[in-house]
Amino acid sequence: MAKLIGGLGTSHVPSIAAAIDKGLRDTPDWKPFFDGYVPGQEWVREHKPDVAVVIFNDHGNSFFLDKVPTFAVGCAEEYKPVDEGWGPRAIPPFRGAVDFSWHLVDTMVESRFDPMICQEIEVDHGIQVPMELFWGRPAAWPVKVVPIFVNVIQYPIPLPSRCYELGRVLRKAIESYDSDERFVVLGTGGLSHQLQGARAGFVNPTADRAFLRDIATDPDTLAAMSREKYVELFGSEGAELMMWLVMRGAMDRDVEVRHTHYFVPASMTGAGMIVLENKAAGDGRQAA
Amino acid sequence: MQIIFLPGLLCDGSVWAAQVEALRTVADVALADFSTQNSITAMAETALALREGPLVVVGHSMGARVALEMVRLAPGRVERLALLDTGAHPRREGEEASRQVMLDLADTQGMAALADRWLPPMVHEARVGDAALMEPLRAMVLRSTPEQHRRQIRALLDRPDARPLLPTITCPTLVMVGRQDRWSPLAQHEEIAAAIPGAKLVVIEDSGHMSPVEQPGAVTDALVEWLGLAPALRAAAHGRRTAMDTDGQDDGIPDRIPDIPLFDRKRSLRGYRLNKMAMGLAKPENRDAFRADEGAYLDRFGLSPEEKSAVMSRDWREMVRLGGNLFFILKISAVDPVRITEIGAHQAGMDHDAFLRERLGKK
Repeated sequence: MAKLIGGLGTSHVPSIAAAIDKGLRDTPDWKPFFDGYVPGQEWVREHKPDVAVVIFNDHGNSFFLDKVPTFAVGCAEEYKPVDEGWGPRAIPPFRGAVDFSWHLVDTMVESRFDPMICQEIEVDHGIQVPMELFWGRPAAWPVKVVPIFVNVIQYPIPLPSRCYELGRVLRKAIESYDSDERFVVLGTGGLSHQLQGARAGFVNPTADRAFLRDIATDPDTLAAMSREKYVELFGSEGAELMMWLVMRGAMDRDVEVRHTHYFVPASMTGAGMIVLENKAAGDGRQAA
Repeated sequence: MQIIFLPGLLCDGSVWAAQVEALRTVADVALADFSTQNSITAMAETALALREGPLVVVGHSMGARVALEMVRLAPGRVERLALLDTGAHPRREGEEASRQVMLDLADTQGMAALADRWLPPMVHEARVGDAALMEPLRAMVLRSTPEQHRRQIRALLDRPDARPLLPTITCPTLVMVGRQDRWSPLAQHEEIAAAIPGAKLVVIEDSGHMSPVEQPGAVTDALVEWLGLAPALRAAAHGRRTAMDTDGQDDGIPDRIPDIPLFDRKRSLRGYRLNKMAMGLAKPENRDAFRADEGAYLDRFGLSPEEKSAVMSRDWREMVRLGGNLFFILKISAVDPVRITEIGAHQAGMDHDAFLRERLGKK
């Protein structure tokens, strides 16, 4: 059966992509941010996952307000990076893991999650940025991807506890998948930021650092928090942090924190990264 | 932030009117009512039950004694403490007899007589004849009853000695007093502030014991500064007429969370055309059309004159008020470049440098 070898969390701020494209990686504004991801990149190089399940939200680029799925699963052979309006980016298309995607959809529906199924869909910075942060800019991505889209823009957005439950279902799907492939799960978004209204520019480094701690040690409390509490603590757009709970729900209750990184502000956002392994995953490390 | 205001003897929420009005836009504010309890502990329990979770506790006079009792009962819940015009000592010799004079006065001649006797020494000497200050205070005393007065005097006479508690207080504490407070003088507050680790002492000039009403602006400003709420208040003052307000053109239902325009049904419906127009700019041919004739491009999406004007003047705050969502309307900046932080500063009503510094912590 397939094996879950780790859980990664990261921001997906579009300015990160712009900074990479403009060659700003080593400028004073960005260097400390990108340097903090080096251990995460080393981790994926060392552990060589075959498939990355990436949980993110589309930002109107593939779903507009005319159709808003609460949860959607990509089941495509290939996912092209979408041009968000600033021109196409020089990144390769993502290879899909179609067979697993359908197995995931089956497992979800049997577990009472009913997702939208997407066989043709382009993907925006929500997945591009996390992939670039962990895998750099290869000629071809060394992993296949399974996108899970979560609506965190148009209210009603799902409950944090529901995201956490979805993670458990994802774990079940991975461990019941007849394959020897190695999986990582990426929860993306956040950390604190607010783009709209009089509180625009709100960041909350204290809450962000607490989140980076609690996502490892106390995920149940984070899952029990209301959406309003996320908005209050992390800003209206920071509420997308609840997507990290899908990743966390896929992991064991007890995890080892391999790396964390926090930087503020990346553009207008508190940005961060975490690398988690299950406590019992020592054999997985050796196998890598 | 949850702030509980605690009034003193014979007082009610009206003494906190100015502070509540100023802070309610940026905090969850509650007023405690001490008209029915006959012990400081019962008053503290009542106040603690007003909200769940961490509290900022602001007490005046007897209310400040209650605030100290709240710290004793639930030290983990009081995250900030403000003590105004108060004391920490237990009953003093002769206090019962002098309080009894007031109780008898209320019993025999009524609350009006009590107000006339009790109020003047409570305020700055120069304000005793100031009807604008004294009439509301007199009306407040008349809202009370001899029975409430008796219960509160009982609570005060039986009050705990809070002095041993002071050195154990670990939360940030503000001690505030009117310079001319004749009832609980400045020296008493200097002692209290010295006994609480790290406490800050603020003296309100030209004020007697009733500082929240005698110098409402100065007391509010001191609280706002101590709570770090000045930037939020500035932003709220701008925002009140923009993003969070439904402006009478709408259903009049305010946003669920103040200052935060959640993209709910109301905003989605209202901003649909505007957001759809902006998303169109993801396509190069639409960007060309926008550049060639912006008004004509906007007309293709049926934008109202108000919406067109907001877009054409790049009034981001107004676009958000009209239901625009930054994820979508940001596409306008793909045609007419502007930094996201400039859009943020515009909405916050702040200068860009100040925005980077105060909101985002840039040096």
